[in-house]
Amino acid sequence: MLRLWALKHKTSLISKCLHNSSSLTAPTTATSSALTSANAPLPTKWTPESIRTGLIARKRGMTVLWNDQGARVPVTVLQLENCQVTANIVTIRQDKSEYHAVQVAASDKPLKRTTRQMQGHFRKAKVNPKRILKEFSITPDAHVPVGTTFSAIHFVPGQYVDVIAKSIGKGFQGGMKRWNFKGLRASHGVSISHRSAGATGAHQDPGRIWPGKKMAARMGGQRITTQNLAVVRVDSSLNLIYLRGAVPGVDDAQVMVRDAKKLTAVGCHNQAKGLYEKVLPKGVDDLPFPAGTLEMAKTLPSIVEAPAYRRSPFVPQE
Amino acid sequence: MLSNLFKWTASSSTRSMSTTVQAVIKPYPFSKTAIIHSEPYVPPPAPLVQGKGLMPYLQKNLTTPEKQTMLRELFGRHSTKRIYPGSIVGVMLEHAPFTFTGVVLAIRRRGIDTSMVLRNVIQRTGVEMQLFVNSPHVKNIKVIQKPPKGRMKRAKLYYLRYSPEKMGALAGSKKGTIV
Repeated sequence: MLRLWALKHKTSLISKCLHNSSSLTAPTTATSSALTSANAPLPTKWTPESIRTGLIARKRGMTVLWNDQGARVPVTVLQLENCQVTANIVTIRQDKSEYHAVQVAASDKPLKRTTRQMQGHFRKAKVNPKRILKEFSITPDAHVPVGTTFSAIHFVPGQYVDVIAKSIGKGFQGGMKRWNFKGLRASHGVSISHRSAGATGAHQDPGRIWPGKKMAARMGGQRITTQNLAVVRVDSSLNLIYLRGAVPGVDDAQVMVRDAKKLTAVGCHNQAKGLYEKVLPKGVDDLPFPAGTLEMAKTLPSIVEAPAYRRSPFVPQE
Repeated sequence: MLSNLFKWTASSSTRSMSTTVQAVIKPYPFSKTAIIHSEPYVPPPAPLVQGKGLMPYLQKNLTTPEKQTMLRELFGRHSTKRIYPGSIVGVMLEHAPFTFTGVVLAIRRRGIDTSMVLRNVIQRTGVEMQLFVNSPHVKNIKVIQKPPKGRMKRAKLYYLRYSPEKMGALAGSKKGTIV
């Protein structure tokens, strides 16, 4: 699997293509003062070893689309709400490895409701104050200039993405719902405990309950990653991304979307093995690099959809 | 008459020229096989870009006007031509079996995802089809017979799966197919 911490030996890339805008006082960076903003041109071509930044979007709801073959595809609609870059982060760890990240913010917020500290941070990045601020770890070549506004065109129809969001809270739930316990019988003498968990341990040995025992407690409301959702359609006029399948969380919740980690790692390994056809998913030739911006969206078509990359299920097989 | 024709051809030629200028498709370098839809004629209003009223807007715009009228007339709650469960309906499809007639067992209303379940007995085999109204394969839907006494006493008639005599009573002597 492609691991970002394995970039220990790629120090040569840093001096060439880094433009560090996060200041000395930022708590996240350790030794950012050593790195100066680069004047060298950024590499603009995606490579299988690069990891791009993700975006922050809002889950608007679910609907359904019918693709070119007439098959029904349930989709989740995500909308980008003025998603912009607020910082580029480079941290040198104690063992000399680098951590590179792009800090992304989304959803404008009134100035008076933003704390002084955050007002200063957004003023430095020259963006409106935002509600949510998240980092996406990247390879050193995928830094994006501060203040860039992202567009839905960042994702290509046909590629796969991971979505991270807080799941719907279910409140305090019992073992049957939370852990799929079977409960007890409905009759035959069971008294009052039809949905209870039953026994919780052994006897005198160990004489206690193991830590981590599955029990009733609060369920949901946690960070959940749903992997490998296909991008079905992209609409840059409304900044919409249509993903096939369901996404955790309620409607209008903030979600983080990024390229599918596992599938890009498999693609990177295929590139190393020489299987050049299996680096990107079917139908995807290239990815906007380092990111799909508003300026790029103006030169590209607004509504792009992925066809079904399979034989039609409505045509009988011979 | 001739002058009108001349005018018509002249305006049509200029109009076609203007449409060819508008219909220039921007290249999409990231995927050769992606489907590129036509650009919207007007940019969408600002509240939609902020997300206000987005899902109802998509419900209207992700369907063709023909499908919208079909949904509104046949499945709208206040339409005079609506389909009731228990009616016999025939549909024409673009894939096999091309036409299907059956009793409406259930109507599932979900906006553009509205669907209905039709049941028929073909060659002594019960066959059910769930047809999505907005699907491009559904060409048209026609009501052949309305339910007895105007409407059934249930919204979902799944009990008909286990009582062929009631199915027969519903169908009556009319074994119509849409032509």
